[in-house]
Amino acid sequence: MSEHQPVNILMIEDDEGHARLIEKNIRRAGISNQIHHFTDGTSALDFLFNHPEGPTHNGPALVLLDLNLPDMSGTDILAKIKEDARLRRTPVVVLTTTDDKVEIQRCYDLGCNVYITKPVNYENFADAIRQLGLFLSVIQVPEVEGLG
Amino acid sequence: MIGLQPTWLSAPLFQLKIDGRQFGRIIVGLVILGFLGLLAAGAAAGLVMALSQNRTRWVNHTYEVERHINAFRVQVERLESSRRGYLLHQDPLFQQVYADAVKIIPQELAALRRLTQDNPRQQTNITALESDVGRLEGQLSISMTDARNGLHDKAIADFISDGSVPLARSTRQLTNVMLAEETRLLKQRVADQESLFRDFYLVLVFSALWLAMVAVLSVMVILRYTRELSQSRDSLKELNDNLELAVETRTTDLRRANEEIQRFAYIVSHDLRSPLVNVLGFTAELDAAAKPIVGLIERAEAEAPQILTDEVRRAAREDVPEAIGFIRGSTQKMDRLINAILKLSREGRRNISPELLDMDDLVQGVADSLQHRLDDLGAEITIERPLPRLVTDRVAMEQIISNLVENAVKYLKPGRPGRIQIKGSQSLGRAVFEVIDNGRGIDPKDHERVFDLFRRSGAQDQPGEGIGLAHVRALAYRLGGVISCESALDEGATFRLSLPVAFMPEEMK
Repeated sequence: MSEHQPVNILMIEDDEGHARLIEKNIRRAGISNQIHHFTDGTSALDFLFNHPEGPTHNGPALVLLDLNLPDMSGTDILAKIKEDARLRRTPVVVLTTTDDKVEIQRCYDLGCNVYITKPVNYENFADAIRQLGLFLSVIQVPEVEGLG
Repeated sequence: MIGLQPTWLSAPLFQLKIDGRQFGRIIVGLVILGFLGLLAAGAAAGLVMALSQNRTRWVNHTYEVERHINAFRVQVERLESSRRGYLLHQDPLFQQVYADAVKIIPQELAALRRLTQDNPRQQTNITALESDVGRLEGQLSISMTDARNGLHDKAIADFISDGSVPLARSTRQLTNVMLAEETRLLKQRVADQESLFRDFYLVLVFSALWLAMVAVLSVMVILRYTRELSQSRDSLKELNDNLELAVETRTTDLRRANEEIQRFAYIVSHDLRSPLVNVLGFTAELDAAAKPIVGLIERAEAEAPQILTDEVRRAAREDVPEAIGFIRGSTQKMDRLINAILKLSREGRRNISPELLDMDDLVQGVADSLQHRLDDLGAEITIERPLPRLVTDRVAMEQIISNLVENAVKYLKPGRPGRIQIKGSQSLGRAVFEVIDNGRGIDPKDHERVFDLFRRSGAQDQPGEGIGLAHVRALAYRLGGVISCESALDEGATFRLSLPVAFMPEEMK
């Protein structure tokens, strides 16, 4: 895991609109890391575990995970990431519409690092993404310096 | 109710159904009949005993008469033979026997006369016998006197000629007649006795038959009554079982339907939120994108107003911001509504954890949380202590009470000092809480409607989506309770919540 490699952002989100909004707000927060977007769980898992640029083989990564996916539940992906020795330290941000307490608890139990509810109130949503941007900037501090 | 009337009941004897009182009467009647039968048998036995004793006495009497007749005959034979002996040999012993017989014969005759007083035929015979014996004695005494006086030959001559032999034969024949008469009487009496016993046996047999009949009837009645009892018990049990089954089935159906609705509400509301995020998100993008454009138009206005038309100005300054405002407002309202459905569905799925609640504390807590608003409004809450204690879910109860009290505070009549009263009572395992206000009241036609989701009543001058009371009702149902409303316009409202004193989970019911 080289310090010079930038953090890749893996966005697993089936809703194109949400994906676009998230991306826009991430960019607006001044984060320019590469974003890999997946609209289903299968291709996301394939990238995570097998892709040469994926976190298993290469550089640090951050996962933005929606729980409602067409082919599987986001919690399944979360569980797979946290069970794998190579991926366990990869931060996972769950970003979903569910604000059900049980679901949130379950995600934290599985090892999710941050849980963000997609608020319909757009200001709050943008705030949340900006906070996420802050979070991202914190974890990528070495890279920024490295790239510096 | 099928199969309650089995075929054996349709037999004529059993057409009447027996109830408990009839059964008692029938059994008492049968017991009385049985005792009557026994009484009859006893009386017959007593009567027969008495009659039979009488008959036996008469039979004995006949034997007695026969004995006396025979004794009389023996004495007559003794009389004659002692005379003959004396004629042969003048032994004083013969004379002694002779005198003895002479003395006994009248005694026997007297006894016979006495014994046969009731029988004129025997009396006639006895009279004839008396005269015969009298004559015989007279003849015999002549030869005896001669012999005693030593006139031996004369005595022998007397013996030959005195006719004592035919007299003695006549006596013998008379006694035979008398004996025959007595035998006839004896036969008759024995026959009477036999017929009496026959009658007695008849009575006995009849009584036995009677008792047997009563016994059979009793057993039949008891059996039938018992069968009816057990049948009605069985059918009751069956009904009961069916009822339980029906209730259980319906409860299960209801629960399943409820779960279905909860799940449906959850999925729908959840999935509806996803597109809403886009609508709102991109509206914000649109808004953000419109800003530089408006800025550009303002610049154009300042630098080159000729390139702008009124249409462009209106679009930039009014139409776009207005459209965005409406989209935003509506979407936000939609989000609130969806959240309300989500909240209700979640409330329905939440686990109820019953605990002992001190309602005084709980209600006081709700009132305290509203104190600031109450002070602003100049309103006050009075709690009538003690309120009944409950075993139920704390969170649900707090939400119910706070929704009701908040509503009361919200809809106070402007210009009238708000008075909100909370009281409670308890009876028959249920606790009733009342939240009474003197606010603007609810039109009676809306009393049901106010509990419906998104429905409100009266002037729409207060914020809210029409969720509170729907939520309260859902919670009350969840706790096994009901809520109702009593009110008239301008006269305040009373919300009455009735709950089981102890919450009973579904699986324990």
